[in-house]
Amino acid sequence: MRPFELLEPRSLREAVAALEASDARPMAGGTAIMLMMKAGVLRPGCLVSLRSLRLEQLEVASDGALRVGAMTTLRALEKSEVVRKGWPVITKTLRTLSNVRVRNVATLGGHLAHGDPHMDLPPLLSALGATATIAGPKGERTSPVEALYSGYLETTLRKGELITRVEIPALGRKRAAYLKCTTRSADDWPALGVAVVMDGDKPTIVVSAATDRPTRLASLEAAEALHIESDLHGSAAYKKQLLRVYLKRAIHEARNASH
Amino acid sequence: MKRATQATETPQVGRSVPRLESWLKVTGKAEYVHNLRLPGMLYGKIFRSSVAHGRIKRIDASAARAVAGVHSVVTAAEIRKLIPEPYYGPAFHDQPILAVGKVRYVGEPVAVVLASDPHVAEEAVHLITAEYEELPAVYDEVEAMTSKAIVHDELKPAGTFPDLKHLKGRKNTNVALEFRLRRGNAEKAMKGAERVFEHRFRTQQVMHTPLEPLVSVAESTESTLTIHTASQSPSFVRIEIARLLGWPENRIRVRVPFLGGGFGAKLYIKLEALVSVLSLITRKPVKISLTMEEQFFTITKHASTFRIKSGVTKDGRIVARDCEVWWNGGAYADIGPRVAQKSGFTAPGPYDVQDVAIDSYALYTNLPPAGALRGFGIPQLVWAYESHTDLIARELGIDPVEFRRKNLLREGRPQATGTLMKDAALEKVLERLEVLMDWQKPFDRGEGTVRRGRGIAIGFKACIANTASLAAVNINADGSVTVYTSCVDMGQGSDTAMAQIAAEVLHLATESVTVVHSDTDVTPFDMATLGSRSLFHSGNAVKLAAEDALKKLVQLKEELHLAADTPVAEVFRKKYGMRAGSVTGAGSFIPPYTPPDEDGQSDNATPFWMVGASGVELEVDTETGRVRLTRLVNVADVGTPINPRIVETQLSSGAIMQLGFSLFEKMLFDAEGQLRNASLAEYKIPGFLDIPEHITNEAVVAEQRNGPFGGKGVGETATFGVSPAIANAIHDAVGVRLTELPMNPEAVFMAMQKK
Repeated sequence: MRPFELLEPRSLREAVAALEASDARPMAGGTAIMLMMKAGVLRPGCLVSLRSLRLEQLEVASDGALRVGAMTTLRALEKSEVVRKGWPVITKTLRTLSNVRVRNVATLGGHLAHGDPHMDLPPLLSALGATATIAGPKGERTSPVEALYSGYLETTLRKGELITRVEIPALGRKRAAYLKCTTRSADDWPALGVAVVMDGDKPTIVVSAATDRPTRLASLEAAEALHIESDLHGSAAYKKQLLRVYLKRAIHEARNASH
Repeated sequence: MKRATQATETPQVGRSVPRLESWLKVTGKAEYVHNLRLPGMLYGKIFRSSVAHGRIKRIDASAARAVAGVHSVVTAAEIRKLIPEPYYGPAFHDQPILAVGKVRYVGEPVAVVLASDPHVAEEAVHLITAEYEELPAVYDEVEAMTSKAIVHDELKPAGTFPDLKHLKGRKNTNVALEFRLRRGNAEKAMKGAERVFEHRFRTQQVMHTPLEPLVSVAESTESTLTIHTASQSPSFVRIEIARLLGWPENRIRVRVPFLGGGFGAKLYIKLEALVSVLSLITRKPVKISLTMEEQFFTITKHASTFRIKSGVTKDGRIVARDCEVWWNGGAYADIGPRVAQKSGFTAPGPYDVQDVAIDSYALYTNLPPAGALRGFGIPQLVWAYESHTDLIARELGIDPVEFRRKNLLREGRPQATGTLMKDAALEKVLERLEVLMDWQKPFDRGEGTVRRGRGIAIGFKACIANTASLAAVNINADGSVTVYTSCVDMGQGSDTAMAQIAAEVLHLATESVTVVHSDTDVTPFDMATLGSRSLFHSGNAVKLAAEDALKKLVQLKEELHLAADTPVAEVFRKKYGMRAGSVTGAGSFIPPYTPPDEDGQSDNATPFWMVGASGVELEVDTETGRVRLTRLVNVADVGTPINPRIVETQLSSGAIMQLGFSLFEKMLFDAEGQLRNASLAEYKIPGFLDIPEHITNEAVVAEQRNGPFGGKGVGETATFGVSPAIANAIHDAVGVRLTELPMNPEAVFMAMQKK
């Protein structure tokens, strides 16, 4: 691993400024970046820790939306009563997301900004219509979570930009389900993730893991046309089969969701 | 925890004594080499080959040497100044300490960077470049038989095994050992049989994945060398390093504290020769700790291909079996030739077959070396012969339990080697499995997209022969007892078992006994902790040593005219006039053995047999091929369990480990021999959620009469039957047969599609 400097800014402005340096990288929980640095995939000269930015809020706004600070740990989200009551699909998804040791330190912002299609929350939050608030050198902007991804490990976040907050609209009368499928051990990265949100009979479907980024399906039929590549999780043909099966099951589960 | 010495008449054997080291482990005080730091120590990081087979044209380490903080970069050139022929190995002297002239697999160590900061060393490794002239490579074990790509120019048997001597100097071959067994005439018997069945099965290359990766430290002076190492075989390490250096054994000290798992990965020479020469070259202590990922390039489990053919009578008696097994040993033989032979002779399974032919080939390929992994080749064989046996039973329409029972080897009957079965509770194990599986009761076969099935399998293993264990037992002046053994506690609980055996002899509470860890300056020779041999061999040695100590104590009492029940402390006070002295008992154990003749026949092929059977119930998702085990039953003959609780955890852990090898673990190579999944993110081992909800483990009532207090090994027993039991249950559930491991969901689904 290349030696690196570790900064721990106390304000967003300082953090953004530090991240403008050419070989600086933000570090939230550090679960992914540390592995990438150990593997030599990333070799930053400077890590900017976000842990002193006070981005851990978790509250319901007046319009019923859930507002989550980017540095909220996945474990805090999983344990939140507010989340369990209003968005039970998120609580359920978190229980099998990686393992408890990772969830204890991994954060929502890091999880979304990593850009790995095998993550569970990007497809789910995309289907739920969540929005990310992003701070950057040019000020603040917002982006649908769905629009954060431009390819495999590629996001639309620009140099110096940071996700600071995520807003998830109230479910209201909608019903949601997220199913994933692993093909090796149970705690493996998924071969496929399927998020379905039913608004009455109208489904919003976002699939991931089998695709290079969370991908919205305009219709059930669109699944057949989806581009899927073979990888270590399985052949393209097999993953297409998984998609057919899990789409059907996720829609069934969403229809029958108690919330 | 302080433990007072406590005499007792309570039997110590058969007690589920909590592990003696558990307190140390849960409080983080147990000693591991990983935590060892010596003053002035250098850390080594390894630069590895990026090609599968090639001549080294040039190694450029100038940029690495220029990095601030780098002490030096060492290649084979520097090593050969110290050791002109720097090759090691238990069966063949074929593995160089660092690549000499050629590389033979991707990941082979080529150079080492030394620095007092491990991060500096690691960073500098990235700056080394090497140029290779690439050579044709071979990866498949069957292709290796006839391939034009030859891994080693010349075979170099170590000379320690008589049956390898004839291979010396042999050229143009990848066959490191060809084991042949003929009993009766299988070909003729096959012709006379009413039905003949033939199948081919394969297993994949997998890794041991001990939680503590390989780690060794060496420190040296002009005339002494001390190696602190996470090794399962300290005595072998000393002998082999002494041979390499041309030093007497007493100048080399090998110390082994606790191991964070071994499973066969930490046997023979791994990093020990490398850190030793690095320490002698630099005159500083040197430590190398592998990362989890580097273990993929160090030692693995053999991939294999097994062609098995049986001749059967109409009423279901197996009259002939013909077995051909190809073992993919990778680039260096390690203990592969022993696997091919010692396991090879059980290839027909635990069945009474008159006419048998076995050909078992240990092969070199351009993949990471393969050695022993919890079962020493047996799980690969049982996978094939129990899948095959089940297929025959199905074809004949005979219940699988009944078919096996009909053909099982009975006590006193000759096994394929001619050795008579003794203390092998095959029938009892099968019978208990049948009962625990409720085999005769109706079975819910599922409905819709969830189909249920069940299957069983039974396997056996001969313990490796012939091997020696020595031990010493000290009765101290206060009556406390110390056991000296080079048996390594790698997590299997051997310290506790050895203490129980000594305590039983000496009528002490087990907790009063201390076990000194392997230190070749202190503890007597022990062949190695492998192949489930230690409870039997080291246990017998400890028992003999304790008996010897007791005899000397009794003699001392007689000499001093003391009553038989005089407390020990008083005996020593009387003898020496104060609290002083001790008696030391010595024990040496090597069971009788007859080496096989040219037909593989021997009247005494093994000191004991291990028997293990597994049964599974599972569900198959017919739309995805996903398999979920709902129940796993493991039944074993372990003789008399010395510590029933440890026996149970050994059985469940062995079965769970094999579950990973059965369902998803696989090292995946591309066409250039590059490993595609060299990380635990892409090579998955079982986690809690993969473990079946219901696991039952049972040791049948049995006795190993030549074992210590009737006991024998258990570490590998539950690995035997798991894979074929799962394949048999999948067949039962959805009617498809898998012949290759792992049985991942895609493999199951695609097999169902084909049907």
